[in-house]
Amino acid sequence: MRGDTFDPRTLQKQPGADRPGQAFYGLISLAVLAAFIMVGAVIWDVVQGSWDISTSRMWGFLTTSFVSNPDEAGVAQGIRGSLIIAGIVILTFPIGIGAAIYLEEYATDNVMTRLIQVTVRNLAGVPSIVYGLLGLAVFVQTLKGLTGGDSVISGALTLAILVLPIVIITSAEAIRAVPSSYRDGAYGLGATQWETIRTQVLPAAMPGILTGTVLSIARALGEAAPLLVVGAAGFYTTGNNDFLEQMRGAFTALPMNIATFTKEPAAIWRGHAAAASLVLLVLVFLINLVAIIGRARIAKRLGR
Amino acid sequence: MASTIDLTTAPTTEGVASRPFPLWRRGVTMVVEGVLYLLIALLVAITEYFVAEPIGDFGLSNWWIAAVIYAAFEGYCWPAGQTTAMRLTGSSVQLVDGSFAGPMRMAARQLIRFLVVYAAPLWAFDFNVWRIAVIAGAVAVIIEVLDRSDVGAKAPWDFFIGSTVVEGGITGVSPDPGPVRSVSDLQLAPGRAAQNERARKAMFAAGLSSVIVSVLIVLNIFTEASEFVSDQEFNWGLLTDVGWFPRRGQFDLSTLFVGTLWVTVIAMAVAGPVGIGVAFYLSEYAGDRTQRIVKPLIETLASIPSVVLGLFAISFIFPKILQPIFSDIGIFSLLAAGLGVGVLTVPIVASISEDAMRAVPTELREASYGLGARKATTALRVVFPAAISGISAALIVGVSRAIGETMVVFIAAGGSGGALFESDPTEPGQTLTAAMASVGAGTDSVAGSGIAFQSLYFLGALLFLATLLLNVASDVIVRRFRQVY
Repeated sequence: MRGDTFDPRTLQKQPGADRPGQAFYGLISLAVLAAFIMVGAVIWDVVQGSWDISTSRMWGFLTTSFVSNPDEAGVAQGIRGSLIIAGIVILTFPIGIGAAIYLEEYATDNVMTRLIQVTVRNLAGVPSIVYGLLGLAVFVQTLKGLTGGDSVISGALTLAILVLPIVIITSAEAIRAVPSSYRDGAYGLGATQWETIRTQVLPAAMPGILTGTVLSIARALGEAAPLLVVGAAGFYTTGNNDFLEQMRGAFTALPMNIATFTKEPAAIWRGHAAAASLVLLVLVFLINLVAIIGRARIAKRLGR
Repeated sequence: MASTIDLTTAPTTEGVASRPFPLWRRGVTMVVEGVLYLLIALLVAITEYFVAEPIGDFGLSNWWIAAVIYAAFEGYCWPAGQTTAMRLTGSSVQLVDGSFAGPMRMAARQLIRFLVVYAAPLWAFDFNVWRIAVIAGAVAVIIEVLDRSDVGAKAPWDFFIGSTVVEGGITGVSPDPGPVRSVSDLQLAPGRAAQNERARKAMFAAGLSSVIVSVLIVLNIFTEASEFVSDQEFNWGLLTDVGWFPRRGQFDLSTLFVGTLWVTVIAMAVAGPVGIGVAFYLSEYAGDRTQRIVKPLIETLASIPSVVLGLFAISFIFPKILQPIFSDIGIFSLLAAGLGVGVLTVPIVASISEDAMRAVPTELREASYGLGARKATTALRVVFPAAISGISAALIVGVSRAIGETMVVFIAAGGSGGALFESDPTEPGQTLTAAMASVGAGTDSVAGSGIAFQSLYFLGALLFLATLLLNVASDVIVRRFRQVY
């Protein structure tokens, strides 16, 4: 008999349609639709704006430096600068991962640990342009003898500091997610804490750590505000400098190129800005893709 | 029943086999030596910057001061038969008879080593980093090929004092583990405990990096900002002048505040509803398949660089959205910039709110359904109140992000040279961050001084304080009103 067990759904089936519920669902669907439109509009705008350049001379655009003739100008300098920046930022990742290991594995609950945790959290919320000020004071002015002033080294180190809290937070999350049974097993076999971390915790946390670090490269590649303050050039002229001189000389990066093209009063440069944006977007999306695929592959290898 | 095991025996170095230190770890030791010296030199320079006048020069004196400090470290480590770098990588210099080298022998060894590895290239090659690397490589080959194991010597300088480099040291030697009685005894094998301790210290040093960066930011910004305020040309009246024109010495803060306020309000008017709506959809309505579409979409939105959104604001938002509505609007306006920043803020609000809603236990929803509540009622009356602290935190973080966003406003709001006080958002304007970017980009020489340039740091200090306050507030709200289930 139906009356024996109470089905709560009967309560929901009151007479009359669920109009407020449908209205609410409609509203949040509208929000999702808006997000879709935002992404679509940005991509459409960039593709459409860069259409002339990307269909006629994309390769030339990628491989030539800036010249004042709009038909020949390219972003080769920006691409090179961005790649050097990415390389230097990657070199500083061990610091962030090490900090995460300390916080999650070694740290005991004391004043120092809490200080580190608080500073990491707050650094993640500091606006990027403030990091530019730090880079200006420390790398450009104080350490001029080493970095060569407003050079790609200064810019890259500034961005490395910018992404440091992101690397620490994402790595710490990945390490925290490793089950403690992994650690107990290693200790039970007589491993020291470091051996446990190196052979058990880090490999297990690697997918998460990789995702976090790769995403922070993407973040570093897209930042322009700190570079602006540190003194990146929109464009520059250069002779045949050797590698070390290039590292310490004038520099630019893709987002700086975009900003400079966009700020040009003549509308013809808007197309260049869109084309450079397209290059940057493709680069950033590719990096994200690498993160997603890498995460999936490593997770598969670890059998999870 | 008396125990036969004597646990009071003092640790001894006897019976611990001295393993030769592998070549690649000797290489690591040398790199550590260089990095350590560089770090000390950096610290000297940074200290000089904050303690003495900002001279903006990394002079020769820094290298010499660093050398003296480094020598002091060396002197501290030599009696233990180690160099500073060896102490960090866990090796030491041992004589043929098995004892460790004393300070005199270490001094002699290091002198020869210094001459061969650093001084000779410095004199001959004008201190070229690459050539030093070549010399180090040559030494490595000598160590490897000319095995003088009969005298216990490995490197040329070891040959002179008849020593070799071994694993561990007086300070790093583990006690003889004795019979294994518990699991922790297994961890005491020679070298392993010391290695563990070294790893812990290295990780701690890495952890300190965030503290160092924070201290540097605060010190740097507030020293420079106080210089702006104490500048001779400065008086507080400048902060309420007719507009923001740093080159003319007019620093009206209200111009920037009203610009920042407009951009933030417009951005949150976009990001608040859209972000929270997406969060509701993802946590309450979306099935597995739609989640697999919507989540990457939000991640894509989050990964779009802000400079691209700046371009988007003037090449899409202005002609396609604003021009049809406001016929007299110019290409640069606070409204366009605010909308651009709004697009940028959506993913942050969405992801933090979604996390907050997901943290609400399923039992609450089930209880609500059990009482016959519909889906929308459950979402609005049960999930929303339970997640309200997280959602407000999301909105606050969104505001903090909108205030700190630079490039969109720098590109799309106009007023790069300065701006008059303007309360109409359809007009060009200037925000805190855009003003900083303009000053930072407009200076011919970034090392330049003068009150216009110092204003950069003054604004930086205001911005830092504002965002810090907001972030702390969101932290407090989350903690204070977190429901404990």
